[in-house]
Amino acid sequence: MILDWLPPTLIGVLLALAAIGAVRRINLWRAGQAEKVDFLAGLLAMPKRYLHDLHHVVERDKYMSRTHVATGGGFVLAMVLVLFIHLFGVKSEILAWALLGALVMMFCGALFVAKRRLNPPSRLSKGPWMRLPKSLLTFSITFFVLTLPAAGILPEGTGGWVLTLVLSVLILMSLSEMLFGMTWGGPMKHAFAGALHLAFHRRSERFGGGRSTGLKPVDFGDGVSVKEVHGVAKPTDFKWNQLLGFDACVQCGRCEAVCPAFAAGQPLNPKKLIQDMVVGFAGGTDEKYAGSPYPGVEVGNAKGAPNQIITNGLVNPDTLWSCTTCRACVEECPMMIEHVDAIVDMRRFLTLEKGETPNKGAQVLENIIATDNPNGYSPASRTHWAADQNLNVMKDVKQADVLFWVSDGAFDMRSQRILRSFVKLLKAANVDVAILGDEELDSGDVARRLGDDAAFQSLAKRNLATLSKYNFKTIVTTDPHAFHCLKNEYGDFGSDALKGVEVLHHTTFLNRLIKEDRFNLKPLQGSKVTYHDPCYLGRYNGEYEAPRELLASLGIEVAEMERSRYRSRCCGGGGGAPITDIPGERRIADMRMEDVTSTGANMVAVGCQQCTAMLEGVVEPRPVVKDIAEILAGQLIEEAH
Amino acid sequence: MSQYDALFEPLNINKLTIRNRIVSTAHAEVYATDGGMTTDRYVKYYEEKAKGGCGLCICGGSSVVSIDSPQSWWSSVNLSTDRIIPHFQNLADAVHKHGGKIMIQISHMGRRSRWDGENWPNLMSPSGIREPVHRATCKTIEVEEMWRIIGDFAKAARRAKEGGLDGVELSAVHQHMIDQFWSPRVNKRTDEWGGTFEGRMKFGMEVLKAVRAEVGPDFVVGMRITGDEFHPDGLGHEEMKKIAQYYDATGMVDYFGVVGSGCDTHNTLANVIPNMSYPPEPFLYLAAGIKEVVKVPVIHAQNIKDPNQAKRIIEAGYVDFVGMTRAHMADPHFIAKIKMDQVDQIRQCVGANYCIDRQYQGLDVLCIQNAATSREYMGLPHIIEKTTGVIRNVLVVGGGPGGLEAARVAAERGHKVTLIEKAAELGGQLVIAAKAPQRDQIAGITRWLVMELERLGVDVRLNTAANEEMVKEFNPDVCILATGGRPFIDQNEEWGAAEGLVVSSWDILSGAVEPGKNVLVYDTICEFSGMSVADYLASKGCLVELVTDDIKPGVGVGGTTFPPYYRSLYQREVIMTSDMLLDKVYREGNSMVAVLENEYTAQKEERVIDQVVIENGIRPNEELYYALKPSSRNKGQIDNEALFDIKPQPVLAGGSDEGMILWRLGDCVSQRNVHAAMYDALRLCKDL
Repeated sequence: MILDWLPPTLIGVLLALAAIGAVRRINLWRAGQAEKVDFLAGLLAMPKRYLHDLHHVVERDKYMSRTHVATGGGFVLAMVLVLFIHLFGVKSEILAWALLGALVMMFCGALFVAKRRLNPPSRLSKGPWMRLPKSLLTFSITFFVLTLPAAGILPEGTGGWVLTLVLSVLILMSLSEMLFGMTWGGPMKHAFAGALHLAFHRRSERFGGGRSTGLKPVDFGDGVSVKEVHGVAKPTDFKWNQLLGFDACVQCGRCEAVCPAFAAGQPLNPKKLIQDMVVGFAGGTDEKYAGSPYPGVEVGNAKGAPNQIITNGLVNPDTLWSCTTCRACVEECPMMIEHVDAIVDMRRFLTLEKGETPNKGAQVLENIIATDNPNGYSPASRTHWAADQNLNVMKDVKQADVLFWVSDGAFDMRSQRILRSFVKLLKAANVDVAILGDEELDSGDVARRLGDDAAFQSLAKRNLATLSKYNFKTIVTTDPHAFHCLKNEYGDFGSDALKGVEVLHHTTFLNRLIKEDRFNLKPLQGSKVTYHDPCYLGRYNGEYEAPRELLASLGIEVAEMERSRYRSRCCGGGGGAPITDIPGERRIADMRMEDVTSTGANMVAVGCQQCTAMLEGVVEPRPVVKDIAEILAGQLIEEAH
Repeated sequence: MSQYDALFEPLNINKLTIRNRIVSTAHAEVYATDGGMTTDRYVKYYEEKAKGGCGLCICGGSSVVSIDSPQSWWSSVNLSTDRIIPHFQNLADAVHKHGGKIMIQISHMGRRSRWDGENWPNLMSPSGIREPVHRATCKTIEVEEMWRIIGDFAKAARRAKEGGLDGVELSAVHQHMIDQFWSPRVNKRTDEWGGTFEGRMKFGMEVLKAVRAEVGPDFVVGMRITGDEFHPDGLGHEEMKKIAQYYDATGMVDYFGVVGSGCDTHNTLANVIPNMSYPPEPFLYLAAGIKEVVKVPVIHAQNIKDPNQAKRIIEAGYVDFVGMTRAHMADPHFIAKIKMDQVDQIRQCVGANYCIDRQYQGLDVLCIQNAATSREYMGLPHIIEKTTGVIRNVLVVGGGPGGLEAARVAAERGHKVTLIEKAAELGGQLVIAAKAPQRDQIAGITRWLVMELERLGVDVRLNTAANEEMVKEFNPDVCILATGGRPFIDQNEEWGAAEGLVVSSWDILSGAVEPGKNVLVYDTICEFSGMSVADYLASKGCLVELVTDDIKPGVGVGGTTFPPYYRSLYQREVIMTSDMLLDKVYREGNSMVAVLENEYTAQKEERVIDQVVIENGIRPNEELYYALKPSSRNKGQIDNEALFDIKPQPVLAGGSDEGMILWRLGDCVSQRNVHAAMYDALRLCKDL
């Protein structure tokens, strides 16, 4: 046949083009900052990370997980076999049959891909992604027909040169998408970048069920050789594997669907942000972006280049300051992209280098520097709330079983109710507890989320120095933000103050006490209760059960919200968002309260002073907001006198 | 973050940390039973304040250290015996449990007491000069007695310390023994215990030394002093500064409490607990003057009722602690409410002085508007819990204090409550009472209740006169009638009410009838209403004669409340006439003639006037009650045994299909007072 050479040639050419594309793409990533990665281990771990960790996230949407297994699995298998059979000309009916099987599988999957694209949800990007099902179907049909002779189903030469020509055109079409597009920026890029992203992920602890949520510290050097820029100003200031991560995005928009800022109409869409990062390091504009915009911001005007300051034309700072760092996007991302890291990296530049923390941000940071707390209270008033609590102070007792990390709720009258309730419970259970008193400083959470890692590190180091003076086995705090800092972020500063110390949220600790039967509690009656998972307790630290078990111990059957546990919606209070206060169409707290109200609950239990403040800020009438410690303390049966 | 942060900054007195700047200052509670012991009622009363967040309670105003300072008249605390120690331990535990601190005022009352009872002692004072307010004659104290009493102070302080209290306050105010020695008005001695400044100071100084020696350096010992006696021959402000400095210099006093005014006359006594006629914190300047010259913290009470006022005083640094004693009686949870961001829910003291006016009569101190205060031990709650039983449809008829309180309590219990009021505004007789000069703040009782009803979602229907059909159509599970009464001006036909010859005090105060020019007010009740209407008329420029058949106009008004009336009435040249009955009224030409008859001589006098205003109390509005009574489940009856025991009414145990429960309370039963109506409302409805 005169055209027999055509399909293998096309395959070969497109493979070559793909290889060239891959090299170019890799070079784009390599423009990022160095980051140590164990390449071999990563590559070896990649299949398992894909099949287990990534699939675990995808599987939350059963339809898509099955579709993807069929389509993606079918394609990978088919592509390998295509190489053997059609490029290298291996004659094996068994392989040919296997190829046919893989293609059928892929075809079935592609049908479902196509079906979903008939009326796609708004979170999905359109544009090139709309043609993907056609490419998938074309690929599977084309190679199916092409393989029929090799499987011995049709005689060689069936259809003659006409069919071969037709198939060649189709091969060109489908492989342009599947191979060329993979490395030259088409939708299939996700497979190539995604696989490598899994292999070289910056937070390898996340794989295998682990959790890695602490922000990476800014390297302020040794004070002699000062780094040029702190934080990320230009795309190339990201670590190379962060850039790789951005490229893994499949634009499924699951992040968009869970982003509280997006829902509130603030100018943030995590998906668009990641795509803008891609525009940045690859250079160009966002004209081709075919998903939902940042609310209120027109698509098409953003321009970026690898060495261009991101906030000069690519991403408006308001977008970065809209984030509550709730991690809903990260939790939901099937490609395990780290949006929050990127956002805080870019905030660091704005705060540390430009001094452009918006609204109350600058003042809060000044307060933190001057008074060691965000609201600028007199440091000497930190323990006023406890004047009547008869609490041991570490300075006096030097050691205790439990160190109660009070956090900055100490200054706030509402939060003090939580603190006092918790102390009441500790006393009822005869816990040997002490506080740091005025030696405690703000954990640095707000400073860090606002990008001021210098203030954070200073607070962290001074707190660690204080902690190292005393002996205790456990730190308990009612503030999930401080909890997160102590547990996940203080470890980066070379102190062994927390070595062997268990850091617990008060709900976890109280739950243990309950299980040890240390309280005498009466059931709570007459209230329908729902529970709001604080981001920094749930998604950041995986504690979903203890609060629920505590409520159950009072006979409360929690009326769960649709958005609960890892899908809990942020109250709007994290990440310094109430401080930077970027306008939107609605308030996040109002939306969250609607979630609460829709359960019919008349009380929402929380485990965070910040959530309490945000939710109580919603205008009445609304359900009562109470910390779990307050609810429990109210049900303590006190011994009669 | 709160606008009230200044109030919540802890401060030490000696080594004792007080959690906030709000103090319940020493007042006579009249609750100490069993010979002056701090028993259950006493403990629960202070525990409630501590639970509500009070920083420091100084209990036991005028608690006695010696057996010859009588305590039984005012059921004050008796520190003259070791028997008190275990009772103090109960008290201290109860307050400490909630993070509060508690001290007690200790004193020897000297001449300021009564001798005709208990141990029948000879009262004593530095120079044997009679005390007019208590009509108390006394002997001149001898040196041996002084040293014995000085020793009694020390022993009493030891008992307080052993009982676990946090400190003692030496009373050198209100003309007790110590300041009887201080005041040149009372101390005329020429020996080493009088005469010179040091001489007058000596008794107090010896008491202070003895007490300090007994309790050691760390136990709190404070002094309550006057800032100015307001008597030309008494202790003035400059001298008080000197005295405060003199004692402060010893380093043995841990704080000073400063009170404006002396109180050994009726008129000055009224200053000590300023009623609603006074401006806010009228004597703060005196306390601030003392604070200028002493190193230790200064506490000041007197008409500080509002958190914003307290905050302003503390922020400005006039004093270190504010006493909010009556504020705590009206609402022992008011600090908790500040902290809960529920400032609007604070029941604020209105300065009616029902509390202190009862105390001066030797009656237990009660709050006019909070019937739960000091009745905690009986199970009357300050915070009303929601019912776990059936939700009832409750109809309250009448929006006076009794009806409002019934509606509030029922709504707090979680019932569906409707309140019908025939007038255009709520408050009942309080609306009228608040029209009089200097009495406007009484409306604060209504203001709080109305705000609470709004918060609790009570369906309030104004301008609606209830009748039998309306109630039956409404078909409530519980109907509470609080329909009040109407002026009883037709008791004597000769008064001519039927002919329109006389009007009631309500007619005048409400503005329904224009004041005449020459008015005779005939007041048989001798409480607030008659004084108020006379004062009101005089303030409008009328010539007024206030006549009573009783022994003196306003005789039923308490000791801190009648002086402000008298000041005003005398200033406005109101003629006050006692012992005269109103015999008849008749018209003569354009004028009227009122015929008065002397009760003791039957001699008649005539007055030519153009208006006669009668205050003869009220008759109950009971028509609706009798109309509804036959068909009600309980025939309108209240089980008094359950009521007095603060137990649920037995009728509540029945099913709702048995018909409507009917209760009536307040003046529509018989004329009593605001407290009586609200007490009944609370105890009836708390178990609804």
